Amino acid sequence: MEDFLKEMADILDEESVNEGDRLDGFASWDSLAILSVIAMAESHYHATLSAQLIRGASTVGDLHRLLSSGAKGR
Amino acid sequence: MNLVFRGKRIEGLLAVLPANERLFIDEMDQFDFPRARSLKLKEVMGYDRHRIVDGPVCVSDLAVAGFEHLFAQGVLDRDGFDALILVTQSPDYFMPATSSVIQGRLGLKQDMFCMDINQGCAGFLIGLYQAFMLLEQPAIRRVALINADVMSRKVSMHDRNSYPLIGDAASITLVGRDDNDTLIHANLKMDGSRSDALKIPAGGWREPSSAETRTPHADAEGNLRARDNLVMDGSAVFNFVQTEVPPMIESLLATAGADAAAVDTYLFHQPNRFMLQKLADKMQVPYTKMPSNVVEHFGNSSGVTIPLAIALNLRERVLRETLTAVLGGFGVGLTWSSMLLPLGPMAFCDMINYPGVS
Repeated sequence: MEDFLKEMADILDEESVNEGDRLDGFASWDSLAILSVIAMAESHYHATLSAQLIRGASTVGDLHRLLSSGAKGR
Repeated sequence: MNLVFRGKRIEGLLAVLPANERLFIDEMDQFDFPRARSLKLKEVMGYDRHRIVDGPVCVSDLAVAGFEHLFAQGVLDRDGFDALILVTQSPDYFMPATSSVIQGRLGLKQDMFCMDINQGCAGFLIGLYQAFMLLEQPAIRRVALINADVMSRKVSMHDRNSYPLIGDAASITLVGRDDNDTLIHANLKMDGSRSDALKIPAGGWREPSSAETRTPHADAEGNLRARDNLVMDGSAVFNFVQTEVPPMIESLLATAGADAAAVDTYLFHQPNRFMLQKLADKMQVPYTKMPSNVVEHFGNSSGVTIPLAIALNLRERVLRETLTAVLGGFGVGLTWSSMLLPLGPMAFCDMINYPGVS
């Protein structure tokens, strides 16, 4: 989880982020951030996630659960 | 499907680039995004500069300039080839075929097989297959394969999804017979059910261009584009490439009975540096074996990125030696294809600007 939070902070251009943070609260939560999450899911979690599935996540913690479950989303 | 060809080779190639170069940092204000996010996009994707035609330059203009250069250099005779294949998605006209326009402008002989192929990012491979098939005819001694696109003219300059990466270019690849009778293995898949991922929705017969289709609208992200413009589902394309390409290359090498360690270079279509490096990571190929620097220098010119990658990175080597190369193309269609072939020695491997310095 710690690694994931560090990756997310980097993707969102923040010093740090927390599990409970709402994604739509970040000005940097845009298509570039979503693509970066898709790439992280692919390389670290071997999961193929669609942008639509990722947009469904409300918080940073939701996103972590999505990646860990390795959900296949087309 | 698996394809196999025998006794064909690439004799030489020339890339033609618009001289007009634009810098990403000068274009950031065109996009309705905070500058900090655009700088982040530049850093992550590897955008820096790209070549864009200046004014209403067409595919045939770039191609004709390239051929005249080859004729003037004495590396190709005006009657030294018997087929002209043009792979493009930005033809001069709906009709006639732009390959016929090029034939006419160059004053080529009538014993000439001209054809246009509508393909994009896999277009270098698709064009080579067509060239190989034409070379089965005794009357066809050599094929000139042109890959060319001026897609910047169909991309909205206010679309941060597509505009920063687009590039215009043409290449002329001479394909001929190889006395060594070498086998070339290839494979190809297509999936039209996902054809919406890369599309110009209006301007054809389904939805003719009109005042309405020319009017830009903002998408959910703030990108302004009209239905006459190219639209790309970037994340869907990313997933498509990461999912389909690695197993395709694995299958190619297995079918050919080739060892991955014997491959000197992986020359893949280049949508952006980010996507290529993610592919290299997944395939465990060192970055040094898979060039990914075409987009930061020139932009993504669909079918021309592989010839550009060769001319930019491997010129000295392909002029002298024979490299074992894996080519990979993937994109619009959707289409994905790969080929294992010996590359070089070539008679020429150059890049020129359009218009040239007179």
